[in-house]
Amino acid sequence: MQLSKEKNKFSMKRFAQQNSALIAFVILFVVSVLIKGKTFLNLGNIISVLQNNATIGIISLGMMLIIITAGMDLSVGSMLAALGLIGLAVLNHTNSILLAFLACILAGAIFGLITGAFVAQFTIPAFIVTLGTMRIYRSLAEYACQGGGITATVSHADKFINISNSSVIGIPIPVIIWAVLGLVIWVVANKTAFGRHVYAVGSNQKATFLSGINVKRVLVFVYIIGGMLVAVASMLEASRLGSINSASSGLNYEMDAIAATVIGGTDLFGGKGTVSGTIFGTLTLGIINNLMNLLGMPSFLVGAVKGAIIIIAVLMQRAFNSQSENVSTN
Amino acid sequence: METILQMKGIKKSFGHNTVLRDVDLTIHRGSIHALLGENGTGKSTLMNILTGLIPDDGGEIVLTKGVKITFIHQELSLVNDLTVYENLFLGHEIIKHGFMDRKTMIQQSKAALNRIGVRLDPAALVKDLGPSEKQIVEITRALLQNNDLIIMDEPTSSLTDVEIDHLFEVMKQLSQQGISIIFISHKLQEVLKVCDEYTVMRDGRVVLDGQLTKDVSEDQLIEAMVGKKLNAMNKRERLIKTDDVLALRDLSKQDEFEDINLHIRKGEIVGITGLLGDGKSNLFATVAGANYPYQGQIVVDGKVTNMKNTAKAVARGISYLPKNRKENGIIPGLSINDNLLLTILRHLSKGGILSNDRQRLAFQKYSKVFNIKYGQRRDHITTLSGGNQQKVILARALSTNPRIVILDNPTQGVDIGARSEIYEEIEQLSRQGVSFVVLSNEFNEINHICDRVYVMCRGKIVKEMLHQELDEEAVLRYAMGSASEKVD
Repeated sequence: MQLSKEKNKFSMKRFAQQNSALIAFVILFVVSVLIKGKTFLNLGNIISVLQNNATIGIISLGMMLIIITAGMDLSVGSMLAALGLIGLAVLNHTNSILLAFLACILAGAIFGLITGAFVAQFTIPAFIVTLGTMRIYRSLAEYACQGGGITATVSHADKFINISNSSVIGIPIPVIIWAVLGLVIWVVANKTAFGRHVYAVGSNQKATFLSGINVKRVLVFVYIIGGMLVAVASMLEASRLGSINSASSGLNYEMDAIAATVIGGTDLFGGKGTVSGTIFGTLTLGIINNLMNLLGMPSFLVGAVKGAIIIIAVLMQRAFNSQSENVSTN
Repeated sequence: METILQMKGIKKSFGHNTVLRDVDLTIHRGSIHALLGENGTGKSTLMNILTGLIPDDGGEIVLTKGVKITFIHQELSLVNDLTVYENLFLGHEIIKHGFMDRKTMIQQSKAALNRIGVRLDPAALVKDLGPSEKQIVEITRALLQNNDLIIMDEPTSSLTDVEIDHLFEVMKQLSQQGISIIFISHKLQEVLKVCDEYTVMRDGRVVLDGQLTKDVSEDQLIEAMVGKKLNAMNKRERLIKTDDVLALRDLSKQDEFEDINLHIRKGEIVGITGLLGDGKSNLFATVAGANYPYQGQIVVDGKVTNMKNTAKAVARGISYLPKNRKENGIIPGLSINDNLLLTILRHLSKGGILSNDRQRLAFQKYSKVFNIKYGQRRDHITTLSGGNQQKVILARALSTNPRIVILDNPTQGVDIGARSEIYEEIEQLSRQGVSFVVLSNEFNEINHICDRVYVMCRGKIVKEMLHQELDEEAVLRYAMGSASEKVD
C-alpha cells in the first residue's frame, strides 16, 4: 500500500516536471472558463486564439531548437518584416504565389545561414550576433521601403490573402500549417540523428565535438531551420493582413517567441526542450491575451501581465525540477 | 575504541538501478577507514547519503552527538582567485567592527596548518598552489570547523608520489589527533600503507570488513572487490612488423609541442607517457582533429590529412577518448543509449528516421562487450556510476569501427575489475588490426598493455622504448628531462 502510494506520487512529480507547460496552460484555461465561461469557450473564440498565435507558434518552433543548442535569436521579428517584404515584392513582380513562397523561404534560409556562420565559425555569442542582425534587418527593410510597406497588389492578391483567411473543415489554414510544422519539428528533434545532436550540443558542446560530431554544421543548420520557419510565418502574416510594414511588422515578436519557448520548459542554458511544451507555451501566452481582451483590460497592461506570467511559469518549473533532482555520483 | 558513526541497513535505488542493498558501516574515532569497491558498487552514493546530499530509501544512521562531517570531493571546491585563508574561512569569516579581521584569520590559519605540520603561506593565492596543497587546504578547512570525520574521495588521483607521501603524513597526524577519515581509493597499495580499517563493497553490499593488519594482502582485497580470482597479469610478447597507419612529421604547435616525429603500426599498442605539462594530451587532441591549426604533417595511411575537426578524424578512421570524462565525455542531458551511440546515430536510421531496433542491437552489442551495468537503456547517463560512464564513452569511441584509437587516460577513476576488462578489449581489437595510442602517466598501465612507448618531456619526445626495454626508473628519468637522447 505504502509502496504503491509512493510510486504514484513519484510519477505525478515526473509528469508535472515534464509537462509544466501543459499544466500552466490547463490552469489558465480553467481560470478563463471560470471568469468568462461562454464567451471564452465559444468555438469561434477558441479558433481565433489558435489563428492569432499561429505565427508566433511557428517562429517559436525554430526558437526552441536554437535555444536547445544554448543559442538565441533576437532577430526573428525584424527578419519577419524583411522576409515578408521580400515575399510580397516577388509576388507583385511575378504574379506567382509559389515563387513568392519559395523566394521567401530561400531568403529565410540565407538569413539563418548568416547568423549560424557567425555563431559557429567565429564563435560570437548568438545573443550578440542576433542583437546586431535584428537592427540590420529592420533598418534595411525600412530603408528599402522608406519607412513604409508593401501591399499585395497583383491580380492574385485575393487568392494570396485567402491563404491565411480561409479554413479547412473549420480550422484556419495557418493553424493547420502550424500543426504540420510542429509534427515535422517533433520528428526532427526526436527521431533523427540531427535532432539528437542538437540536444547533445546544448547539453555539452565540447564533449559532442570531441566525440566526432560536426558541431558547426549542427549549429548552422539550426539557424537555417529557424530562418525558414520565420519565412513561413512571414508569408502567413503577409497573407493575413495583405501587406507588410517595414517598421511595425514583427515588432517584439522575438520577445513573444522566447517567452513561449521558455514557458514551454526549454532551458536557456541548452540541452532541454520539447515541441509539445513550446506549443502549450505559445497557447498559454495566447490565452492570456485573449482573456485580457475579453475582460476589456487596457491594452497597455498586457505587457505587465505577460511578463509576470513568464516569471511565474519559470519559477514553477524550477520548483518541479529541484524536487526530483537525483544526485548519483558514484 | 569509541564508535563515532554507525550506518545500518542502508538502502538506495535510482529508478530501476538498485545501488545499495543493505549496507552497514562503522567508523571508530581516530581511524583511517578504507572504503573499497569497484565503480558502481555504491561507495559514493553511501557517502552522499551520509552527508545528506541525497535521501536514503531505508536504514539507520547513528552519529555520536556533536560529530561533524566534511566530504572532500574529487573535484575540489576551492575558489581559485581567493587566498588560502580566505578559502579557509569562506562563509565563516571572522568579523571585527563590520570588517573582515584579516590578522586573526591569518593567525588561526597558520595555527591550523602547523597543527598538521604543513608550511604554507595563508596569504598565497589558491590558484598558485599545487594539487596536493589544494587538498591540504580542503583538509585544513575541515579542521578549522572542528569536524571530526573527513571523507576523502580518491584524493591521490591527481597527485605525484612525493605529494601523496605528504598527504599521508598529514592524514596520520589527523588520526593521532582523534579525527577519523574515510578514505576512498582504487589504489590498494596506498590503502595498505595508510589505512587501519577497511570495508569492501560489491554490488551494493558489504562483502568484507575488519582491521587492516599485516595479514591482509592486496590479493585478498582484490578478490573481495572483484568476486573472482584475477588471472595473473600477462606480459605482452608480440613482435609487430606491419605497415604504418599513422605518422606524424615535424608536428608543432606553439607553447604546446615541438617537432614531433613518430609512427604507429597496424595492430600496435603504443604508449605515450610523461609528467604533467609534457604536452601529450594536446599533441593527440591535434591528431584527433580537436586542436586545429598546427604546423607539420599528420599522415594517415600514407596520405597527408588536414585534421581540421573531429568529424574529419573519424572519417579517416581515427577515434578519440578525451581525458576528464565529466567535462569532455559525458553529455548529461542525454540517455545512456544516446551517449553511447552519439557518433554513429546517423548510421542507425532508416530513411532519415532513427530506427529503434538498430539502436537497440548496437547498444546491446557494446554494453555487453564492456559489461556496462545499467537500469534501462533510456535512463539518463547520470544514473550510472563513474566507471560505467567511462565504459560508455569508451564504447562510443570504439563504435565508429576505427582503425586508430587514441585513448587519453582511459582508466581514469576506473577500478581493477573494469580496468582488466578494458585492457582485454584493447588487446583483442589490436589482434584484429586496430592500432591504439594510450596516453597515461601510470607506469603500470603502460607496462601492462603497450608494445612500444614514447616518453615526452616539455612538449618533445625524448625517448622511444620497446616493451622489453621498459623500466620505471628510466622512464621517470627521461620524463623529468634529466636524461635526454635524440630519437631518430
